[in-house]
This record gives sequence, C-alpha cells and structure tokens, in this order.
Amino acid sequence: MSRPTPIDAYPTATSNLQADTENILQDHVPLEGGGGGCVLHKNRHLELLVRNLAQGFPARYVSQDASQPWLMFWTLQSFSALQIAIDPDTKQRAIDTIMQWQHPDGGFGGGSGQAAHLLPTYAAVCSLAIVGRHGPGGGWDQIDRCVMRLYRFDLYPMRRRDKLYKWYLSLKQPDGSFIVSNHGEVDVRGIYCLLVVALILDIMTPELVNGTPAFIASCQTYEGGFSSASHPHIFDGILAAQRPSLGEAHGGYTFCALASWVLLQPYISAGEDAPRVDVRRLLRWLVNMQGLEIELGGFKGRTNKLVDGCYSWWVGGAFALLEALGVSPHVPAPASAHEGETAKPAESGWNDADDSFFNRHALQEFILFAGQHPAGGLRDKPPKNPDAYHTAYCISGLSAAQHRVYPSPARREVVRAAWEGEDGVRAAAFAEALCWTEEDGGSYIVGSAANRVNATHPLFNLTITHAEGIMAHFYKQTVPKRPPKPSH
Amino acid sequence: MADDTTEHVLYAERPEWSDVVPIPQYENIQPLAPIFYTPEYKDATDYFRGIVKTGEKSLRVLQLTETIIRLNPAHYSAWQYRYETLIVISAPLEPELVLTNALTKASPKTYQVWHHRQLLLTALRDPMPELAFNEEVLKADAKNYHTWSHRQWVLAHFDQAELWAGELPFVERLLNEDVRNNSAWHHRFFVSFENGSKGGTGEGADEAVRRELAFVKGKIALAPNNASAWNYLRGALNHTHLPYSTQAAFVELYVVDAVDADADRVLDLENPPPSQGAQLPCLAAIEFMADVHEARGKEGISEAVKLWRSLAHTHDTIRKRYWEFRIRDAVANTSVA
Ligand SMILES: [Zn+2]
Repeated sequence: MSRPTPIDAYPTATSNLQADTENILQDHVPLEGGGGGCVLHKNRHLELLVRNLAQGFPARYVSQDASQPWLMFWTLQSFSALQIAIDPDTKQRAIDTIMQWQHPDGGFGGGSGQAAHLLPTYAAVCSLAIVGRHGPGGGWDQIDRCVMRLYRFDLYPMRRRDKLYKWYLSLKQPDGSFIVSNHGEVDVRGIYCLLVVALILDIMTPELVNGTPAFIASCQTYEGGFSSASHPHIFDGILAAQRPSLGEAHGGYTFCALASWVLLQPYISAGEDAPRVDVRRLLRWLVNMQGLEIELGGFKGRTNKLVDGCYSWWVGGAFALLEALGVSPHVPAPASAHEGETAKPAESGWNDADDSFFNRHALQEFILFAGQHPAGGLRDKPPKNPDAYHTAYCISGLSAAQHRVYPSPARREVVRAAWEGEDGVRAAAFAEALCWTEEDGGSYIVGSAANRVNATHPLFNLTITHAEGIMAHFYKQTVPKRPPKPSH
Repeated sequence: MADDTTEHVLYAERPEWSDVVPIPQYENIQPLAPIFYTPEYKDATDYFRGIVKTGEKSLRVLQLTETIIRLNPAHYSAWQYRYETLIVISAPLEPELVLTNALTKASPKTYQVWHHRQLLLTALRDPMPELAFNEEVLKADAKNYHTWSHRQWVLAHFDQAELWAGELPFVERLLNEDVRNNSAWHHRFFVSFENGSKGGTGEGADEAVRRELAFVKGKIALAPNNASAWNYLRGALNHTHLPYSTQAAFVELYVVDAVDADADRVLDLENPPPSQGAQLPCLAAIEFMADVHEARGKEGISEAVKLWRSLAHTHDTIRKRYWEFRIRDAVANTSVA
C-alpha cells in the first residue's frame, strides 16, 4: 500500500483536499490480476471525438465559443495521436471551417467574426498543419495569399502572411512581451502561440522577437517554474532590471515559457548580459510536480495542488524540451567513480529500463487508471467528466511518457545539408525545429502494444510528420525522408 | 443593467434593435465541430457581429456586450468591443467597475474579467479599494491564479507605499489559515523580495531576509512536510546569495528518523525544532542537506550520494530517476574537477 502524503498531525484545507483525492485515486487502481485496467480504450475515445466533430459540441461548450479553433485542434490532434487518418471530405470541411475564423487584418479569431487573438491563431494554424494542404482550398495558401476580392482597393495588395506579421508587431510591448489581442493581456501562453506560428509560417525575424527572451527569463520564479507574466517597471523610458513575476510557478505557463525559450535559442546572442534561465532549478521544479505513488504518479500544476491529467502534457511533455538546452538524463558516469551507480538495481513494480527524469511508468498508469472516463474521453481526474481539452492533453501526455523524442544532431545535419538558399538564422531555426526525432527503441509502453499512441513533436504538439509537412511548404524546402522505422 | 430577473427578450424581438442586421456566424458552409448554442446566445452574438460590422459604438452596445459576457464571460471580442465603446462614448468608468465586481465574483477564473479590471483601474487610478475587493474574492478561492496575479499587478503597477504596507500582515493571515497555500507563499516572496523599486516595504535587504528566514523556519517547524515552505526557504537563500550551509544546523533537526520526545527543549529561535506531530525524516530536509554536502565539493560528495540514495530507494521513490541523475551528475562533475 502506498504511503499517504504526510500531514504532520497538522491538517489544513490543502491537506484535507489532498487526502480526499488520494482516496479517490486509490479506488481507481485495478485489483491485482483483474485485467482490463491497463487498457487504453481507444474506441471509446474515438467515438466521443467523432461525435464532437461530426455532430458538434453540446451547449455547455458555449463557454468555449471564443475557443472554437482550440476545440478543432484538440479533436484533430487527438485523432493524430490515436493514429487515425481523417477522410478527405472531413478534412475539406475542417479547412473551410478554419478559414472562416481568419481575420481580414491578419491572425485568427476564436470564431467567425471574432477579433484576432494569439491563442486561436496557434490552434487554427496547427489544425491546418493536420488537415491542410497546398493548392486551392487547401488552407495553407489561403493564409499566404492576398484575397483580391477583399482588398481590391489596396494599392499594394498585401499577402495574408504580411498582415499576420504586421499584426504581431502591433501587439509587441516595450518589455519584449506581446498582448494576446488588441487591448488584451500579456501572458506567456500568447507568446508561445505566437512563436510557434511565426516559426511554422516562416515569418520569424530578429526584429519580431527582440527583447522576448529576456521577458521569458523574467517569468521564472524562485521555485524554478514559470509564472504567467512579469511586471515591467519602466522609469524614464528605461526598463528596470528587476521584473517581478505575476503569479506563482505553474505547469501550463512553464511549458509555454520553456518551449518559447527553446524556440528563441537561435535568436539569443551570447554575451555577458544575455538573459538566463536557471535550468537546474527548473528541472527540480518539474520533477517535483510528479505526484506520489498514492496519487498514481500523475502530475500537478503547482506546488501543493492536486494532480490533473492535463499536466501530463504541460509538465510531462516539458522534460523533452530540456534536452534542447543540453540537460539530459544521459549523464556519462565515469567508470572509476562510485561503485554501483551505473548498474540498474533490480526492482519490481516500476520499470527501470529507461533513462528519463520522471517516472514514465507511473504517469502512464495515472492516465490509464484515472484519466479515462468509462464512457469515453479523458479528464482531469475522477470523478470529473471528460472534455475536449483534457482528452487531447491526457493523450499527448501519454505520448510524452511512451516515447523519447530528442533533438538529434544527425538529423540536424541532414536537414541543414538539404537546405536550399541563404544560410543564416532562418536555416538554423528550420533545422532546430525539424531535428526532433523519435528514438529507436526508446519507447516504453505500459499495457499491451495496442496502447501505443503516436509520438508528438515536443515544441508544437503535432506529429513530426505534420510539423515537417507544413514547414517544408512555407519555407519552400524539401525535408529529407527519415530512415524507415522498424515496425512495431 | 442585465435582465437577471425579467424574462430575456431576444434582440431580434426588440423594436429598438430593428435597425441592426444580425449576421449569422456561418453562411454558405456547414461547419465541422459546431457548438449547439442556446437561442439567447445565438441571437446576441448574431447582433454583435452585425454591430461589429457597422462599427457602431453607442450606449446600446454596452447592453448587448453585457448580455454576451453574462452568457460567456470568455468572449474576449465582446469585452474588447465593450472597452472601446466605453472610451469612445466617454462613459463613466466607476459604474463599470461596480458591474465588473459582480462579473468578477461570478466568473473569477476568466482571464478577460481580470484584464477588464486592469484597464478600468489604469484609467481610474484609485487602487486602494482594489486590494480589499481582491481579498474578498480570495475568500471564495484562496488559490485562484488570476486573483493573485492581479493583486501583484495592482501592487507593482501603482507601486505606492500605502498599498504595500498591509501586505505582510495580510499574507500572514492567509498562511495562518493554510500554511500549505503555495499562492500565499509566492505572494509573500513577491512582497518581501520583489517589492518594486520605489515603494516597497521600505526596509533593507538584510532586514528582509533575516525576518523571512525566521518566518519560514517557524512554519517548517509547524508542519515540516510542506514543499511550499521549503521552496520558500531555498528561494530566499538563492535570492540573497546565502549558502545553504548557513541553515545546516536547522535542517539537520529534520533529517532524523523521529521526533525526540524526551529531549530537553532548549528554546533556540534560530533553529526551531520539529513539532511533536512531525513525520520524520522530512524528505525536503534530506534533499537540502544533500545540496549542502554537494556544495562542499569532493569531500562532501559521498555524504551527498548517501542521502540521494536514501531518497531514490526509500523516501522519495517516485523521483528515483531524478535522484539517480543527481548522483551521476555530481559524480561526473567532481571527477572532472
Ligand atoms: Zn486540467
């Protein structure tokens, strides 16, 4: 029996809620030899996803009316991760729907006729990475091209991507951050969404992200994770060095900040006053978000809060990103040093066959036992109902726990060698984005092989194939084929 | 104001709206993954699209956007258009703040409602009542991320000594209610160490760190297995560049296997001992001491490894991989050095 979280004979609201949650989670551990507990119920989840896509979302989703591109992305990406191809007719309807959300002045809104906003712009573009294509009606060229019907009075018809870029610049703040929309707020989710789209669509420039790395770095809190934003003190036009973080370290913001930091690497010039992130403190915070055995090893989003399925991705998915910063669990241990450190102690229960920073086995069990709703769809934790958001991020988190996706130096070389055109930061950013590779033999799947879900790109949360396809299109490059994977 | 009590009349049936041409969300396409809207919501947003198209900014736009916001507080376009309308028609902002108070209490987890407050407060420049309102919202949910980051924004943005003055007693109250409330701990760090560059608590850094170390050690003694308090201790030391070894005498009291019930109680304010109910050893204390030993270099490394092993195999098995990494990493670094 797993040990409960110690409460030192000093109960508070936090420890009471924690204890209740531990009891509920323990009720979801399948009985020994009961079977069935370790199954990912793909068909049940697919039924729900298909129903949402084809028929629609029930009225309680009105609260997400300004997030329609997200509902689309969560659903489509869940299909991709579950290895389900989408038929051409449905793809076309998806593209036509997504293009309705594009704002005439650049960017995408949360629905038709809504203002452009950084978050739905990410969700729309990533959805188009999944279902879109080049050519008429395929979406991709509709982001790119000027629509003469709308802009016939313009003297110099702008391409849509130029509008997008100008809109991005209009959101830029003096501290290097971006507001999410006209008159909107600043937070690192918006910046992550902006950077992903700018990179994918080939509109990233040093000008656009000038000062952004320092802003991201300023959001790291004393705990090691990142907050939603920081406050700029500006005196006589000068930005003060101290920028206090607004809000505590949080899993969602930490993922967005870390991914942004990785995406920005090609644009950070080395030097004394280069912004810095304390990666060791970040790693410590990330590993501490994993709940105990009694919490089934799910992840929480903040210190002393409860485990929640969506952090399987926001936190569980963040470890892969550390590898791009040179922090890898694969530290070479010198042979002469302490005895026994490299030998793997035999132990039952948790699998020891992998080198990772977190317990991949436990996270998969959490998702399988507690994340799945018996009627289909995935959730925060029992007894909650499933929803589109948790379905997508539980599955993405399961993927992060199953596969090791890492920035491969060999792949980076291949992509760079195939690059056509001027060699520069643009070529470097392209190769950095597309060097991520699923490690052969690095997969570890709890339950039967049928539980396998697709690997996902750690920066974008798209499959690697989808990321390559859309980026090759917008950069007008040919991405070399990957060596065939051994069949599983 | 909203028709909370009266029957909702669709905009399509209101004669004073008959000049507006409603625009349905989707024309000419059968959207994929649509939402099944309620008739009220569809009606209001159709009229909203109609208004946005003509660019009308008038008093009735405030009514329409309020209807939408009450049905879906995350409708950022309605908020945005409402704000622009308020400015264009020079509407008084005090009543808007009163209305926003109600909307905030109804939907405290919505980004937009808090941002709207910031826009209003920036224009009204009267931040003092905001702290009291904020505390009221925290009473309903003491860990709401938006509420806390908003409070920190108020303090940092207006940066007035009177605002900062009450913050330490306030946060102490919250920590007395729940010593495990990490949001409150973060706020305490914000107030103690990141308190703006003009306002602040008006004390020196030395004074702040002395007070905070005493405070956090007292809270660790009360309930030692509290990750929030240990993170705070580490944060305070890192922030002021004090080595962890300065706290070794205190932390050593928490790595023992059990509370010594018979020991003579010597009152040591610097190093408060664990409470009688403490469950020891405390894994955060083991980790802390391992860091102290690691910082000693070659001499300390075997002691650190011993502690990390005890975490990996006994006290913190879920993080076995991490502790093993720490061992490999420390060993690799010391043999190179
Ligand atoms: Zn969640």
